[in-house]
Amino acid sequence: MLEKLQLVSMAQALASHSSSRLQLIAGNIANADTPGYQAKDLLEFNVDFASVGDQPLRQTRSGHIPSGPEFDESKIVASAFTTPNGNSVSIDIEMAKAVQAREAHTMALSIYQSASSIIRVSLGRG
Amino acid sequence: MGDLAKILSVSASGMQAQSSRLRHVSENIANADTPGFRRKLISFVESGDGGEVSAGRVSLDRRELQSIYDPGNPLADETGHYDGSNVDLVIEIADAREAQRSYEANLKMFDQARQMSQSLFDLLRK
Repeated sequence: MLEKLQLVSMAQALASHSSSRLQLIAGNIANADTPGYQAKDLLEFNVDFASVGDQPLRQTRSGHIPSGPEFDESKIVASAFTTPNGNSVSIDIEMAKAVQAREAHTMALSIYQSASSIIRVSLGRG
Repeated sequence: MGDLAKILSVSASGMQAQSSRLRHVSENIANADTPGFRRKLISFVESGDGGEVSAGRVSLDRRELQSIYDPGNPLADETGHYDGSNVDLVIEIADAREAQRSYEANLKMFDQARQMSQSLFDLLRK
């Protein structure tokens, strides 16, 4: 029932996007010295309301759970510099992106928490 | 949740690669005065599809050995020179600094992933 609320499904999608983004960032930092490695990142989290709409996604069987907005296109970041061995990872930029992902994740979890506490209040369980 | 667990293994592989890099740096420094010693270079290679890194081949630096003038040394030739090593302490110390910085960045990613999964579990407690 919580999934029908668009706010909650958006928060879930943002939390999932943040953890996927953090995985790419961790891969970039781990390969910061690998020759020829290009830094990767996810496209920005952007829910297209026209496609999500009010109707849930069509299910082919009744047991399937409709999923929220999808995003798994990772892109190669066009970096401003490459070291002589072809590596394009900048640790400072990656750390800044990691902080962004962390804050987005925290915000998504807070939204989810406040939505569920509102529902709890409305159920009379404060 | 699977992403967060993947991040832990990616960051752990990064830390392991950087510490093996530091091990080779310390081997080079320890043998800075060994005659005929060529410094070891280690290259990283991306392994797996999640961005994990592993230490690749160890190769020897092809630079010229330093020619040291010491007629009293048993290895000296008729001009009084013998071949030392091609280890430059400044380069090794800079390499060690960089390995430490990358190690700490990987450790930060590990910690961040751990905290994010912790806050996910905290949702259940409320």
